[in-house]
Amino acid sequence: METPVIPHRLEIIHAHKAHGGWVAAVLPIHYPRALFRAFDILPVEVWGPPRIDPTLGSAHLQPYVCSIVRNALAYLLDGRLNVADFIVVPHTCDSLQGFASILIDFVKPTQPVLPIYLPRGKRLSDLIFLTDEFKALYRTLAELTHREPSPADLMAAIEREEQADDLLAQLHHGRRNLALSQTDLYRLIRSREYLPAETFVEIAGAVVQSARSLPPPNDIPIMLSGIVPEPLTLFDALTQLNAYVAADDFAACGRRLYERGSRADPFERMAERILLAPPDSTRGSSMQDRLDHLTTLAQTTGARGIVFYDVKFCEPELFYLPVLREGLQRANLPSVVIEFDLNDGLTQQTQTRLEAFIEMIGGTQ
Amino acid sequence: MTYQRTPTQDTLRYQWNVNVIGKPALRLNRWLAQLRQPKPSPYLAPPLNITPRTKELIARHYLEGRYANLHRKVAWVTSGAPAEILKALNFYVLYPENHAALCGAARTVVDIATEAENAGYSRDLCSYARTDIGALLSGKTPVGKLPKPDLLMACTNICQTVLFWYQAVAHHFRIPLILIDTPFVYTTASDQAINYVWRQLDAAVPIAERVAGDFLSSRKLEQVTRLSKLAAELWMQIIERGKHRPAPISVFDQFIHMAPIVEMRGEAYTVDFYAALLKEVEQRIAKGISAVKQERKRLLWDNLPIWYRLRFIAEKLGAHGVALVVSTYTNAWAELAPMFDPKNPMASGARTYLHAILNRGTGYKLAMMQKMIADYQLDGAILHSDRSCKPYSIGQMDQRDRLLRESGVPALLLEADHGDPRAFAEEQVANRLEAFVEMLGE
Ligand code: SF4
Ligand code: SF4
Repeated sequence: METPVIPHRLEIIHAHKAHGGWVAAVLPIHYPRALFRAFDILPVEVWGPPRIDPTLGSAHLQPYVCSIVRNALAYLLDGRLNVADFIVVPHTCDSLQGFASILIDFVKPTQPVLPIYLPRGKRLSDLIFLTDEFKALYRTLAELTHREPSPADLMAAIEREEQADDLLAQLHHGRRNLALSQTDLYRLIRSREYLPAETFVEIAGAVVQSARSLPPPNDIPIMLSGIVPEPLTLFDALTQLNAYVAADDFAACGRRLYERGSRADPFERMAERILLAPPDSTRGSSMQDRLDHLTTLAQTTGARGIVFYDVKFCEPELFYLPVLREGLQRANLPSVVIEFDLNDGLTQQTQTRLEAFIEMIGGTQ
Repeated sequence: MTYQRTPTQDTLRYQWNVNVIGKPALRLNRWLAQLRQPKPSPYLAPPLNITPRTKELIARHYLEGRYANLHRKVAWVTSGAPAEILKALNFYVLYPENHAALCGAARTVVDIATEAENAGYSRDLCSYARTDIGALLSGKTPVGKLPKPDLLMACTNICQTVLFWYQAVAHHFRIPLILIDTPFVYTTASDQAINYVWRQLDAAVPIAERVAGDFLSSRKLEQVTRLSKLAAELWMQIIERGKHRPAPISVFDQFIHMAPIVEMRGEAYTVDFYAALLKEVEQRIAKGISAVKQERKRLLWDNLPIWYRLRFIAEKLGAHGVALVVSTYTNAWAELAPMFDPKNPMASGARTYLHAILNRGTGYKLAMMQKMIADYQLDGAILHSDRSCKPYSIGQMDQRDRLLRESGVPALLLEADHGDPRAFAEEQVANRLEAFVEMLGE
């Protein structure tokens, strides 16, 4: 299959605005996409972005804050988020919580800043709270946009997102049979960060349709874990090293394979989908849940080792590493930790370490 | 054949070690310390007379902890957790953060935290967490031995870090973890947030009861909450005596004497202790004793202390007649006192624990600092940019700028770490303090 043509982020934003819609710049990780779409607000995610001049952010944030947050602030201060009508900040971690707070209290961007608190459990109390939080967000958006989508509108938006998420899951699980390079696959997976669900469904649907049973690749299957796979050339490098990403546990990708909801109330359904997503450090999943998830994922996909590819200073991820690595080792799954800064690109050191790791697991076949 | 100890033998062992041997020995220690003359400082007042009693209280707390597993259930909790429920269920309550602070003051952090680092915990993680995880993995601690927990309670009102940290501990010991998740408060807490915390407190009770093997008595909970409130009110009064010029007590004194308000809340002896401390502070005012002998300038301290260099910084500032008179950190255990309602511990607890300073916006903290500057007639502020503590430190760069612009006082951002001396550049800190003091002028 040919490389799918994925419209560029700016193209999508301008097209959406041209028909009178709004755009929300959304910080990582979990948020109710359908709720925004029901208001004709297109969520466009901001994971950093990479390789920008972070100096402007450094006037407000200490150097020990991760590059995703520092870059996002620099990007905003540089006027590069002016196209957005809203800024949405989920309370993913202490750094993003602090980021939301300094935006509201000190930076005061022209757009309204909408924080979303995500509970750290999946108990009934968490479901009730998150449902209430989404209802409060609905009221805020109604006030700001003077629109009031009905429950049916909300359910229709949820259905569109669920359909897109089904296809996203098929891309992940059926990757072996897709005639796509690893880089193209991840470009497509990550286009979910800004494409409207219906556009994503169209593109991803065609890719999934063209899947056919391919012989298993000869490359060494590995798994990646972390917050976000940046830069995408990481996958080119892995391909060159004869490594094949059999599964991922990235917060931006594999941890957002939300299953279809079961509840009839739209707010509860949106909350339920997030709470039941795969285990995630930022949602406070237990060590055991994460370990079981990674082990199962490796076993079902044949991954022979795990690369923890972590953003420097990312506390949520760093805390889990010792327990996960020890547990994986017990299951005969070796792992390596590589930390990176968004502004460094794919360094020679990273490539060397990847090479050594892949050689090591390749040799222990 | 293995020898099994009976519960009676365990209790006897506890009584022997703690009540027969330990406590009298600590009392003797205190008497001896009271007789010793502390080394005088040319710039600072002598330590408060109550200091040996503080040390005795802390040592007694850890002594009880050392043998606690022999006769009662043990809970490890975060510093902002609603520990009243556990106290009322007769748990021995240990605050790992306090233990790590004690390791900081005893300068054992590098040795202990290295154990955690060797096990894979990154040096970019909070040094409190690294210290306690290191202690747990190696058994190293300056207090002899920490009790093994039967239950954990983590409250996110100080940071998310504690949740990950406690997940690791729960996994290590395979014990239940009660999570009290507290949505961030930008202005005031929403009803949904209060109800959420309240629901979690309610749900925590049966879990704690199951581990305790007992039922929670509402009368006991009310009593514990009342004692917590009383101690916090006294602590607030002690801090407020810093408004007096010259200040009778410094922030360094507060750092030294704050351990009981953190880890011994809900106890009658803690109330007595702070009543005695308040009395001594008032006597100092009456006698004209000031924390810094020649108080010339008055400053605020923001963020955690640098535990391993308290004396160094106190002397450095004291030499220039600079007194640190109030701190957002020590105030955190005072400011919530009025919110506690012993008659309604669950509902008021939900509201109170949501409003911890670290669970509130950066603008709120700035407003608090500005109020302190006005109320305590301050000349400036030192904001400790604590590498370990992102929730406390993010926002400080803007707060510093606004203190200067809006309150007209200079503020120094001091890079360090509250526990790990490897992130402390002594010469650089000394130079920056000197330059800042110079800037304060005469
Ligand atoms: S990389 Fe980690 S610390 Fe940074 S924003 Fe993401 S979750 Fe937070
Ligand atoms: S020092 Fe900061 S990061 Fe560490 S446990 Fe305390 S509040 Fe959390």
